[in-house]
Amino acid sequence: MLDKNLTSLKPYLLRYRWRLLAGILALLFTDACGLVVPWVLKLAIDGISSPRNSASLLHYAGLLMLAVLVQAVFRVGWRNGIFGFSRRVEADLRCDFFQHLQRLSPSFYDRAQTGDLMSRATNDLSAVRELLGMGAMGIVDGVLVVAASVSIMLVIDPRLTLLTMLPLPVITLAVLRLGKLVHERSRETQEQAAALSAMVQESFAGIRVVKAYVQEEAEYREFARLSREYFEKNMALVRVRAIFLPCIALMSAVGVALTLGYGGWRVIAGGMSLGSFVAFLGYLAMLTWPLMALGFVVNLYQRGMASLARINEILAVEPEVRDAPDALGDFTVDGAIEFRNLTFRYSRGAAGPAATATGEAGAPVLRNVTLRIPAGGVVALVGATGSGKSTLVNLVPRLYDPPPGTVFIDGVEVRRIPLTRLRSAIGYVSQEPYLFSDTLAANILFSAPARNGVEPREEAEVAQLSREICALPQGFETLIGERGVNLSGGQKQRVALARALARRPRILILDDAFSSVDTETEEKILRGLRAKLRGCTCLLVSHRVTTLQEADRIVVLEEGRIIEEGTNRELLARRGAYWRLYQKQLLAQGLEDRLRQAPFQAAVDAVPHSSPYRAAPPQERLGTRPSQRQESAP
Amino acid sequence: MIHGLGPDSAIHEDEALGKAYDARLMRRLMGYLRPYRGLVVLTSLLLLAISLLQLVGPYLTKVAIDTYIVSQDYAGVRNMALLYLGIWCLLAVLQYFQTYLMHRMGQHVIYDLRTQVFQHLQGQSLRFFDRNPVGRLMTRVVNDVEVLDEMFTTGVVTFLGDCFILAGITVAMIWLDWKLALLTLALVPLLVLVSSIYRRKAREAYRRTRLALARLNAYLHENLAGMRTVQAFVRERRNLKTFHGINLTYRDLMLRSIFYNSLFFPAVEIIGALATALVIWYGGGRVVQGLVELGVLVAFLQYLERFFRPIRDLAEKYNIMQSAMASSERLFKILDTQPDLESPAHPVAVSQCRGAVRFDRVWFAYRSGEWVLQDFTLEIEPGERIALVGPTGAGKSTLTNLLCRFYDPQRGRVLIDGVDVRDYDLKDLRRRIGLVIQDVFLFSGDVEANIRLGDTRIGLERVRQAARRVNAHRFIEQLPRGYQEPVAERGATFSAGQRQLISFARVLAIDPQILILDEATSSVDTETEHLIQENLEELLRGRTSIIVAHRLATVQRVDRIIVLRDGAVVEMGSHAELLRRGGLYATLYWYQFKDRAEDLADLAPSGAQGAL
Ligand SMILES: Nc1ncnc2c1ncn2[C@@H]1O[C@H](COP(=O)(O)OP(=O)(O)OP(=O)(O)O)[C@@H](O)[C@H]1O
Ligand SMILES: Nc1ncnc2c1ncn2[C@@H]1O[C@H](COP(=O)(O)OP(=O)(O)OP(=O)(O)O)[C@@H](O)[C@H]1O
Ligand SMILES: [Mg+2]
Ligand SMILES: [Mg+2]
Repeated sequence: MLDKNLTSLKPYLLRYRWRLLAGILALLFTDACGLVVPWVLKLAIDGISSPRNSASLLHYAGLLMLAVLVQAVFRVGWRNGIFGFSRRVEADLRCDFFQHLQRLSPSFYDRAQTGDLMSRATNDLSAVRELLGMGAMGIVDGVLVVAASVSIMLVIDPRLTLLTMLPLPVITLAVLRLGKLVHERSRETQEQAAALSAMVQESFAGIRVVKAYVQEEAEYREFARLSREYFEKNMALVRVRAIFLPCIALMSAVGVALTLGYGGWRVIAGGMSLGSFVAFLGYLAMLTWPLMALGFVVNLYQRGMASLARINEILAVEPEVRDAPDALGDFTVDGAIEFRNLTFRYSRGAAGPAATATGEAGAPVLRNVTLRIPAGGVVALVGATGSGKSTLVNLVPRLYDPPPGTVFIDGVEVRRIPLTRLRSAIGYVSQEPYLFSDTLAANILFSAPARNGVEPREEAEVAQLSREICALPQGFETLIGERGVNLSGGQKQRVALARALARRPRILILDDAFSSVDTETEEKILRGLRAKLRGCTCLLVSHRVTTLQEADRIVVLEEGRIIEEGTNRELLARRGAYWRLYQKQLLAQGLEDRLRQAPFQAAVDAVPHSSPYRAAPPQERLGTRPSQRQESAP
Repeated sequence: MIHGLGPDSAIHEDEALGKAYDARLMRRLMGYLRPYRGLVVLTSLLLLAISLLQLVGPYLTKVAIDTYIVSQDYAGVRNMALLYLGIWCLLAVLQYFQTYLMHRMGQHVIYDLRTQVFQHLQGQSLRFFDRNPVGRLMTRVVNDVEVLDEMFTTGVVTFLGDCFILAGITVAMIWLDWKLALLTLALVPLLVLVSSIYRRKAREAYRRTRLALARLNAYLHENLAGMRTVQAFVRERRNLKTFHGINLTYRDLMLRSIFYNSLFFPAVEIIGALATALVIWYGGGRVVQGLVELGVLVAFLQYLERFFRPIRDLAEKYNIMQSAMASSERLFKILDTQPDLESPAHPVAVSQCRGAVRFDRVWFAYRSGEWVLQDFTLEIEPGERIALVGPTGAGKSTLTNLLCRFYDPQRGRVLIDGVDVRDYDLKDLRRRIGLVIQDVFLFSGDVEANIRLGDTRIGLERVRQAARRVNAHRFIEQLPRGYQEPVAERGATFSAGQRQLISFARVLAIDPQILILDEATSSVDTETEHLIQENLEELLRGRTSIIVAHRLATVQRVDRIIVLRDGAVVEMGSHAELLRRGGLYATLYWYQFKDRAEDLADLAPSGAQGAL
């Protein structure tokens, strides 16, 4: 499993292999220079103890300086090479991670937690980078310096060397054992960090609810609990990790003690020169750091692998919605939509990003829906909460994938239309619009073709935002907050509408897009839309009768089934669900009686003459002019 | 009007950067160690012991060489070796405990600081949250605090340890041979120079990497949260390009700071080598002259190596300190931000609440100068049910915000039962008010927890009842796990109406004296809404309630309808009165039925009876 994770890094290693190689080479030379230093010291000390050539002390000093200077150059080289390599891989990996996240479908985001994903993209990614940088350095350094020092020590005194190496196998075994534990506990710690992030992110995103319901203490308790757990997990990790360094230091101490005892005896017995003895000690001392580094690498490796596994977990998720292999190369959307005996269920998975589409499917949300909308047609959907309206319209831009052979655009199955082509032709106003913390203009022109600084006045006008924007000191350049916090509910919806219009769609989907807009403004918007959207197919979801009446046809959904379909008049004549709904909205309190006594005209008279209602005679509706629309359709 | 955040907004805040070492910050940070004095003393003592024991090593080697090997005393050599081993065994044990305790201390501090920052952030007013994106607050609570962990564990304590070592080595060197020692110490000014140059460069590089990282994370966060929108609008490629750009900027800045680091390290090493060379040249000469023993020289060289090691590591430590200082500065800035709206010191006790509400000549603006309410006055009788209607952006939600004291008005007063809301304890005040917020928010967890929220006194039966009242019971029961059905982030797997019903149910699970429903059923179908109204009829009786709605059918049953436009009351009265008046309300009303003329013929004769 570890290896599989490592292979995912292969392309990155290959991409920067020369840099890495150069770094490693430089590191080798650095270490080689490092080996020269004790040698020079040995020569110097030998020289000092046998004062024959005391004149050459300056010579030794110079040699030492030279070695260190050369080493410095190589050191600069390897640091830039290896750490530069790890940073480059990190950046690429992050970019690929982001790109992958962009490809994952909404069904993935239904279950993922933003805080958790953020944690993977930051904490886990740095752990992987450290593994690559410090890890590569540690391994090369460790293995090489150990090997070189040991061979030089072997040259100086083989027996002594073997003796000092005695504790090595024991340590190795211990390190490997501990490594497993470190891996396990690192993973738990990282998971806990992600849980903490997710909790914080939710708690602050929902701060209004927290405050309104005085839940600060409950939230705090939960946060403290998670922090406490994080504390425990960290300490559990520290408990194993803290063993590494003393362990390795001890091993080199055993080596030094053996050298002192045995080597000292050899020097006394005359079997070894004092200079060799001192140099031997020097090499042993040099071993300590790379050995410690190796222990450190084991730590890094285990932590990095645990994190890499968490990143790969996401990278392994296949996007549910993607271009089919038999997708049409080129396709221009005209706007006819057809649902053919569509039955749709959401896949139910456990929460958490790891849960993929493989979860079992839930109960059908849409059942046998068959509906044809000609290009330029306007269809309104109405139905109880949870009856599947949003689900149905979401299938058109393929936010979720419908089963094969059920949804068609211009007679072509949506699955075969290239995603970008399809979505570019659709203006979509979701039920809960998401705005970005950017300027108003940037939000409205979010996906519009580049306009080079031209303000989206026309769209703002249709969305009835002009008056409000004009009143702003910065106009279109006004910054709006995260998710549009500084806008009222209706303002958010209208900005989202302007955003959808700005891309000049062939198909416009308005999913309850006026729910927070008052009826007067709504009427003005609808009037603007009528003019603007000639020839554009429109799917409207609404609970308001007024909006529904804009449509050529009204479709009533109940528990995922179409139970009624027809024009406003037809449906009213049918006295079914739509008629009941109509009654409820129409027969407002007291009106019932008033209606009986005073027919409609009386009520109309109550409307002031200046009212825009007069300006827009009720006969002018989208639905009443299908002929016009057909004319303008290409 | 839309009230923008303006160019001075904190959303696009520049990250301020403090000094790498700031005594004031440091002292304050150290304050967090106070509860763990015992641990601090213990780890410091352990560290001191470790540093001293580590110094003993080279000394033992010296003694072994100079005293025993030279005098051919093998027993002495062996004893030295055994002593060496013993000391290192002890060292290993001490080191383990020292590391463990040090981390324990660090983690304690982190825990304390983190919970403190979280709690403090929670206490901030909504104005604060309007300005600060969630991604940034997350960075504070999670990452900035984590950085301090590094400082407390690897930074402060090892720094302390390094100081011990440096001091110890200096003493040892002077004691061994003061002339040699002086010679090497003469290089210290050079070290200071090199590190000060490095510091300047590193600081600038650090500041810029921080900025780039903050941008990177904010961009990532916003994109993840809004991925559906990005995809529906086919912005993937453009956003990827932006992200790529930010990512590369960050990477290149990092590469540059790696470069500076890579220069510093060898520079110190060269100075170290210079010291060694001096010792060989000068000290060696003195050995040859017989003024110094060889063992002294060897020990001296070993000490030198240890002397420069911590200084070399300074580059790493400097970075840790730098980021720790920057993080703690940001954290302290948050902790020093007093919430601009707090409970009074002596709040008015809440007696039996009648629920009289009065807006008394209220002036309010989210941003100074851009008035949302001007001289607004409104009185609501106890137990009265009123409706707020009006065009979008008129200030309806703003009124509810003021009543819950999410914001304070600039001028004028908001009174409940004749007492200014500012004189109540904030929590008492909000407990008396049940508010359904316009922007629905569900927490991840399960359905039951979402209705009950953190209130453990609310049992499952109460939750069910609340759900039944808002007509959510049926769909919840149909979920595979009923009330225990997991809720994803923001309730993504529910329909918008279902989310709204769950959020509505919350208010019915508690027993507020004043009820505010801000578009509580705007995404709910008419039929369900109708049923809810019937269920609420009895519940609302005797409670002051404020209902905000655009669908006027929602508000028919209220006692009084208040029509707002641009922050002012333009009309007021019952449904019938307002219709008769033919003003804004009538316009809004008739827009709902604009097409009725043609339908009326079909309906009027018999239709009316069938309904309701
Ligand atoms: N947090 C905020 N910061 C700055 N301005 C705000 C904030 N909230 C609302 N506003 C502004 O205050 C004005 C009144 O907003 P409010 O939310 O009260 O309107 P509303 O009557 O509830 O409208 P809607 O029916 O659309 O919800 C709007 O112009 C809005 O842009
Ligand atoms: N992403 C999802 N994953 C799983 N189930 C879902 C998801 N989205 C919606 N559902 C379920 O599918 C059903 C239909 O939801 P949909 O959002 O289509 O309803 P709707 O008709 O738009 O309702 P509303 O009027 O409340 O917006 C609901 O029971 C809902 O719980
Ligand atoms: Mg919906
Ligand atoms: Mg509002």
